Amino acid sequence: MRLVGIWGYPDPEILKKYPDSEFIDLDINYNAPTSGILPDAYCRIMRNIVDNALFFRDRLDVIIASVGREKCDSGWFASHILKDMGFNVIETRYEKYNQTLDIPISRSNLPLKKKINLIMEGILTKTRNSFRETKPEFGFWGVPPNDLDFLDIFPGTTHVYGWTRCVEAGRPADLELEMFADDNVPTVFFAQAFCAKMQLAKYLAKKYSGLYVDIDDKASNSARAKIEAFIKLG
Amino acid sequence: MTTLKRYIDAGTSWTKILEINGDDKQAKIISTKDFAGLNLAYDNATGHMADKTRKYQNEVLSLAYGAKKLLNNPENATIVDIGSRDIKWVKFENGKYRDLDWNGSCGSVTGATVEMLCKFYGVDTAHLPPQDELIPVTCGVFGMEKIMDEIASNVPVNVALAKYIHGIAHNTWIFAKKPRKIYLSGGFCLNNCFIESLKYYCEVETLGRFVLVEGLYRYLTGSRLKR
Repeated sequence: MRLVGIWGYPDPEILKKYPDSEFIDLDINYNAPTSGILPDAYCRIMRNIVDNALFFRDRLDVIIASVGREKCDSGWFASHILKDMGFNVIETRYEKYNQTLDIPISRSNLPLKKKINLIMEGILTKTRNSFRETKPEFGFWGVPPNDLDFLDIFPGTTHVYGWTRCVEAGRPADLELEMFADDNVPTVFFAQAFCAKMQLAKYLAKKYSGLYVDIDDKASNSARAKIEAFIKLG
Repeated sequence: MTTLKRYIDAGTSWTKILEINGDDKQAKIISTKDFAGLNLAYDNATGHMADKTRKYQNEVLSLAYGAKKLLNNPENATIVDIGSRDIKWVKFENGKYRDLDWNGSCGSVTGATVEMLCKFYGVDTAHLPPQDELIPVTCGVFGMEKIMDEIASNVPVNVALAKYIHGIAHNTWIFAKKPRKIYLSGGFCLNNCFIESLKYYCEVETLGRFVLVEGLYRYLTGSRLKR
């Protein structure tokens, strides 16, 4: 089957031009072999994008690449690199919005991993399910991590903040919304190691007395244990 | 008839053991390698080398509970545990847990590195004179390279190692968010050079090497801490 690759949050108007296509989110870790194109000490999500593009090269008709403030400079650079390598890349910027969508998934009682997966799937297909809102006992701020398994440490009463909440709200470059956190909700401020958002996560963790965590590939035992301790002591 | 209960803090290099038999309570310490060879049964464990698939409590929680017990419910305190492999700390404010952190990888090779270097150069840690200067140790590998450079430049080995230990002390203080006072837990409680180096930055009070295993016991038998 032929594929349309995407990363970040492409402009929905561009995505509408591919109504019957099979999409693949290149941000996700599919265990593609390391291409060695990007440095080893680099954002794991960006390495996924480039490694996946190379791995699925024969099946990719086009890559719709998010290169504006809804993604990052690294996304823009990767787009240029892949174009230079002969990929068919369409760049999109999605920085202006007419509305703010509701965020029922971020506030729901679903397991955190499920919340994040549903929100990200919503870029291509919005769910029509209804969700039960829960009072937040904990918060998870950040982007969808490369390692989704450590999200199982969080209880269902964890609300989603940061860029992932912005995605659900349909405003992925809304920095004000991205920097929002609830004062009295103990929150883990997560950033992918080597990502520019480490700056925000570290700052906000201090501002809101939360826990700053950066993880590169898979969460180490220490990273998992400190999140667990934060939740149990929270 | 009483039943022996055994709790362990299986650190990277050393295993701290707490045995409770009725009113009798004994604390012991042996190398983790030797402990593994003994095949001793235990009731619960904490520490990097503990089998996390069974009877395990994470180290930060053990540290928080152990500190709470040993400091008799402190109002305001930062307790730092620094051992062979990593640094972890918890902070209490107004009698309640307030903050924590645990370094995972970069800069985490601490006590084990010092032990290796002292063995390699044949230096007794008791004879390391604290130094005003420090070697930066944000990266342990670069830190070791600096030690070797200093020694190659005819700086005495014990001075170079003391500068490295000062670097670890400075790193520890920064990592713990620059507290006014540190209650120190773990193997570095026995390292006078480290303690004196840390005193360049804050007050220091040592709690010894059994804080985590005491905390494990308290966690399993006492009431739970909350923010």
